[in-house]
Formats: sequence, C-alpha cells, structure tokens
Amino acid sequence: MISLLGRAVVLAALLLATIGAVMSFAAAQKRSANGVERARRIAFLYAALMMLATGLMELALLRHDFAVSYVAQVGSLATPLHITIVSLWSSLDGSILFWGLILGIFTAGAAMHLRHSATDHLGYMLGTLFVVGVFFTFLIAGPADPFAPTPLPVPTDGPGPNPLLQNHPLMIIHPPMLYLGYVGMSVPFAIALAALFAGRLDRDWIRSLRTWLLVPTGFLTVGVMLGGWWSYEVLGWGGYWAWDPVENASFLPWLTAIAAVHSALVLQRKGTLRAWTVILVIVSFLLTILGTFLTRSGVVNSVHSFTQTPIGPAFLAFLGFCLLASVAVLALRMDTLASDPARETLWTREGAFLINNLLLLVFMFTVLVGTLFPIAAELVRGVKVSVGEPYFNRMAIPVSLGLLLLIGIGPALPWGRADNQNVRRALLWPIPAAVAGLLLTLAAGGRSWGILATGALAGYAIWVNFDQGLRLSRKRREDEPWTEAVGEAVRRGARRYGAYLAHLGVIVTFVAIAVSSSYQVAHEATLRPGESMTVSGYKLTFDQVNARQEPHRISDRARMQIERDGKAAGTLEPALNRYDSRMEPIGTPAVRTSVGHDLYLSLMNVGPDGSIGLRAIVTPAVVWIWIGVFIIAAGTAICLLPAGLRFPGRRRHLATAVATGAKAGT
Amino acid sequence: MNRKVLLVGLILVAPLLAVLASGLRHDPREVVSPLIGRPAPGFSLADLDGRTLRLEDLQGQPAVVNFWATWCQPCAAENPIFSAVARRYAGRARFVSVIYQDSPEAIRAYEQQRGRWGSTLVDPESRTAIRYGVYGVPETFLIDARGLVREKVTGMVSFDGLSRSLEEMLVASAIEDKL
Repeated sequence: MISLLGRAVVLAALLLATIGAVMSFAAAQKRSANGVERARRIAFLYAALMMLATGLMELALLRHDFAVSYVAQVGSLATPLHITIVSLWSSLDGSILFWGLILGIFTAGAAMHLRHSATDHLGYMLGTLFVVGVFFTFLIAGPADPFAPTPLPVPTDGPGPNPLLQNHPLMIIHPPMLYLGYVGMSVPFAIALAALFAGRLDRDWIRSLRTWLLVPTGFLTVGVMLGGWWSYEVLGWGGYWAWDPVENASFLPWLTAIAAVHSALVLQRKGTLRAWTVILVIVSFLLTILGTFLTRSGVVNSVHSFTQTPIGPAFLAFLGFCLLASVAVLALRMDTLASDPARETLWTREGAFLINNLLLLVFMFTVLVGTLFPIAAELVRGVKVSVGEPYFNRMAIPVSLGLLLLIGIGPALPWGRADNQNVRRALLWPIPAAVAGLLLTLAAGGRSWGILATGALAGYAIWVNFDQGLRLSRKRREDEPWTEAVGEAVRRGARRYGAYLAHLGVIVTFVAIAVSSSYQVAHEATLRPGESMTVSGYKLTFDQVNARQEPHRISDRARMQIERDGKAAGTLEPALNRYDSRMEPIGTPAVRTSVGHDLYLSLMNVGPDGSIGLRAIVTPAVVWIWIGVFIIAAGTAICLLPAGLRFPGRRRHLATAVATGAKAGT
Repeated sequence: MNRKVLLVGLILVAPLLAVLASGLRHDPREVVSPLIGRPAPGFSLADLDGRTLRLEDLQGQPAVVNFWATWCQPCAAENPIFSAVARRYAGRARFVSVIYQDSPEAIRAYEQQRGRWGSTLVDPESRTAIRYGVYGVPETFLIDARGLVREKVTGMVSFDGLSRSLEEMLVASAIEDKL
C-alpha cells in the first residue's frame, strides 16, 4: 500500500519538476512575470510532494512495513525508535529520497526568498533548480527506488541499519548537515547560471548569490567537521581525518565554496572578479555532484562508500551533462559578465583575496588529483594504487600556513590603492602579536618549524582580526544600555563581525589541528583484571568487563579506573558492541575530553580469560577543532543576519536620530 | 562564443569524465595480480603450534591461502565461509591461513572462540605477504595442484565462488592426471 502510494507521489513530483523546468525557462526567456509566478507555485508544490514522499517512507519505517523494500533493507523490530527515524538516511536509496526532500525545500526556499528578483533571473534560477530536481526525482523513481515492493514472501523482521550508524548520536546530525551543504549548493549554482543566461550579474543578484552561497557553505563546514568528529568518537583509531576519498569528496566543494565566498565579497565591493566568482560557484556545485558520484558509485575504495549500485551510470551521465552544460553556457555567455576595470596591486585587500583564492584552488586540485589518481592509474597502467596521507599532508601543511598568513595580512590591508607607508604600517603593527604567539608556542614546548610557524601566524592573525573587529565598534552613548550598544554595532557591521568571528574560528581550528596531529601519544597493552598501564600522566587500571544486553545489541564494557598524577579521576568504559546482524563486534571508544587534551580509550578485544586489549591515546587540543568550527558556523550565521534586522529598543533611537536629522535639515 | 573558455573547459572536463567512466567499469575489489598463472611464491612458515609448513607441502592438491587479521571485519565475516568450504573439501584440498600484521596472542584468543579451519601460519615481518603482493586483508590466493596461482580474491570470498574455483581446479588436475 505505502509502496504504491509512495511511487505515485514520486512520479507526480517527477512530472511536476519536468513541467516546472520547461515552464521556468520559457517564462524567463519571454520575461513573463505570470509564467515565472506559476513556476514558483510549482516549486512549492514540488517541495510539498517531496515532503509527502519522505513522510510516507518514515511512516513505513515506523510501522515496520517490510513490504517496502527499503524498510526490509534497513528496518528491524529491535531498533530503537530514534534510530528507526534516522535510518531514512542510513542506506543508499533512502538517502537519495532524503536528498530529494532537501532539494525540494531549498527550491521552495529560494523561490520564496528571491520572489522580488528580476523576472528573468528568477525564472532561469527556478528552471535550473528544476532540472537538478528532475534528475534526483528520476533517481528516486527509478534506479534508487526506495518504495519498490519487497519480493515475496515479505520478511517478518529486518537486519536493521548499519551498526556503525547506530553507535553515536553524531550520526543522526552529520548526514543531514552534509546534505544541507551539498544540496544547498544547487541554489548558488542556479543563481550563477541565471546570471549567465540573463547576461547580467547586478548588485541585487550578487547579494542573492552571496546569501545563498553562505547558507550551504556554513552547513558544509559543520557537516565536514561533524564527519570528522563522528569518526573520532566512533571508529576507535583516535584520528578524525584520514584523507579517505569520501572525506575528500566533502572537502573539495568546501574549498571552492570558501574561495567563492571571498571572491563574491570582492565582486560586491569592487565589481571585479565577476566571471571568476560565477565559475567558482559553478565548480563548487559540480564538485558536490562529483563527490556524490564518488561516494555512491563504488568507483573508489573507501570505508564509507555505499556498495556498487545501478545509480553509478545514471550519476555519471548527470555529472557529464552538468559539466558539459556548464562549459557550454560559460563559453557562450561568459563575455556578457564583464568585470569593472580593475586597478589592483598585490598589496591591497583584493590582492589578498586573490591569493587566498589561488591557494584554495591549488589545494582543491591537489586533493582532487590525489582522490582520482587511483582510478586514473588503473585506467592507464592497469594497477591498483592508493594515495596515502603523506601525499595530502605534504600539500595541506604549507597551504594551511599560507591561508593562516592571509587571514592575518588580508584584513590588515586596506581596500583599493594605498600608499606604501600605510601598507607597511598596517602590516608591521601586529608583528608583536606574532612574536608573542611564537614565544607562547616555544614555552608550550613546540619545537618543529611547522608548529612554531603556526603559533606565530596565529598570533598575528588573532591580533589583526580582533583589531579590525574592535575598530568597527563605536563609543557607546552614555544613556544607552550596554546590550543595546552591542546589538546596534552587530547590526550595523553584521557581515564584517561575522567574517572576523569566522576567521577566529578558522585560526582556532588550524592551531588545534596542528597541535593535535603533532603531539598525539598512543600506547597499547593487554591487561588482566587488576592490571594497569600508564600513558602520559594517566594510570589506567582495568577492573572488569560487564556485558550489557540491549534490545539490538550486546555491549561488553571494560571498566577502567583513571588516575591522573596519582589522583583518582573517575572511570571510563570503552565498549565492544555485538549486533545480531553482524559477526564482528564494533567498538565504541570512551573519550574523556578536557580543555587541554583528550584521553581516548579504545577496546581492541576481549579475551576468553577476561583479559582485554586496550589502546590508549592522549591527544592535545582536539576539542578546539570542534569549538573552532562552531565559531566559524556562528560567524557565518551572523553574516546572514538580514541588514534591516531590528533589535529591541532600536526603533526609539532611530526615531530620535530621524528627528534630530530633520531638525538639522530645517 | 568564447572559444578559449570552451577549449579550457573541455580540456579539463573530458579526461575527468573518461577517468570516472573507466572507474565505473571496474569492480573496486578486483585486483589484477601479476602472479596469476605463475608458480606461487615459496614460503616456509611456522604455525601457531610451532610446526613448519612449506609451500611444497601443499602441492598435489589445490590449496586456498588466505591472508587475514583479527582486526579486519570482512575477515571475521569470511571465517564461517572458509569453515564450511574446508569441511566440504576436506581431504581434497588444502586450507592455509596466513596472519597479516597481527599478534599470535590475539589470533589464539580469536581461534579459541571461533575455531580454526586450516593451518594458521605466522608471517614474521609480513615477508610472505609482501611476496604475494598483499595490499590489504582479506586477500585469498587459489593455488592449483601443480603450485601455480590460479586466482586471487580481494575482499570477502563467497561460498559459491570459492567452491566453483575449487571444483574447476580439481577437474583440471584430474584431467592432467589422466593425460
């Protein structure tokens, strides 16, 4: 029943998206406001149908309706409720449906928010979004149909979702965040294509582009970080990033999106880099499709790839279509987007933005080549190779240091032409902060050149960004409450405050990554009950293993007494979980996080004699990676605050100001 | 029409698509081994009980040589398959497992829980694994009665696939014996 209904809804959505695409393009070409208005309504209807389809799938999951193939694939009577709900995105077919849902919501959101845009812009944008929608709805309707009926006889229970996904709450939010970033990139792509089709990228449309670029970029930032955090908390190897092809797939569009966010700023401010910004946005979208293809086609070997599926060829066809269509549109229309004449010299803020763009692009190409090299090598030489961490790290370290340097000098440099003396003063002024950063790093025991450089550059950059942020604020009026003054300042300079805050987040994250990857201490031991091991200041004593029966698994928890510098510091319980559906137990590491470092215990095995194999890792500064990314996300959110946002009490001052202004005028 | 953009775009896009399309054709698990059809690299390794086993000891019957470790999840999933196939072909084929970068203690504890389906060999410094070109576990080599490598399976074996390969090798060696 749900099978039939679900398929009908998806087919209706496919039909709507197709009609919407044709209608939007036709209306945009004729500049027909009525036509575009009808296309907008179709966008809302399309979103509603995608919600309905997703709702039906959730209903099937909750009712354990094993007659629906996707439920038979990932459902299980023993799975807890919240896991059942999120198993929508635990496997391929469901995740594509979820993708369609988000695309529908984004399409409707853009149709809503940008309703006052120029008719042709709006029409071309909707048309492009509908084309993307046609493809994904086609996938849901055909190659990845989650509603397909289960071959008879219908099973009475299912295997449940992949245990790795049941192990940690982060898995509940990591995929949606990443999808919001991935799918959301379709909107700036559609806006960029609309600019090309219309042959116009004016002030309003640049603002729309920037807003809709920031939204998915923010989600992508958080999504990538949550993926790292999840793998850290769940996989038990003590790291958070392995340059796995699928991790790279999420990182590639992030790099170009960050580049685009910065070039869009130059465009908004100076009118230059017009075509360049459009290209970066298009490339970001193409990279999300490439990444999805890599993840879901089985082309690359990866811990997270879904297995080989029939959607690989369909995805490749779509990727090919998008790539060739983008090249064609760019070739035909790019000359219509001429930039204002530029008079840049290197030592301006625009110059810094340009170098930032180049660094990010070089990094993107490095990662892309490393990710695709194994496939290319197999094609050319017929050998299987894998590209390891050293290759990526060799590039990541200098590029990150370069970006850190730019975060420092970029905001210090003035926009436009400036005389050399000003530039010199602006750049030399924060040097003491760099020296302080260097000395602090030395004092903390940093000796390698990479860490020392990170410390110095971070000190410099923190100073500059704080300094720039503070310059924005103004003197508080005497009668004005403090909260109101802050609100007022944030409101007026929201975009710049947001940017400086995001920069501080980046600095925190960079430093934390540098420290945590340089000073990790790991120790492995086999312990019998009562025995203990030590790892950098911690004494870990093994009590016993407790087996706990949970509905969907048996959890063997090893109780470890923790002592720090001779003082008892509680217990940690790393676990091995055995699921009915899998042979091999899956570990859940226990992590004790503190401001300075993490103690990370991973249970390797439980012997028949009651002994355990334990891996203990002490990693400094890990928590600051997540904190840093949340700061970036907060900064991005502040950037998105609407310019006309009113804070309570502001109206009165505005009225006073207007009155004063009026008086002054008379 | 901006020909420069078109040219640069196509130069970037065409090879990318070609590479990706070629990637689709391949099974990500299938690895061509230069050993196929050649004599299996020799070895002389001690099992967990200290008895030495050499490659020559296997000859005369088809042999299954599996590289594995306790920390590898597909290996654990493979274990019951090997047990079943080994029972089915007991006396007609030889089954050997080589430990890949793992400690004999861990292996012993593991085998106490799950049993053993063939000789378990310790491979010091992975020398044998290197000779066989193992790049990740599990990998399984099928060696025929004359000592030639016939097949390499990367990733999990299947009961049917393994049985089929063994049947083929048994038939081939029966024909050779007749000739």
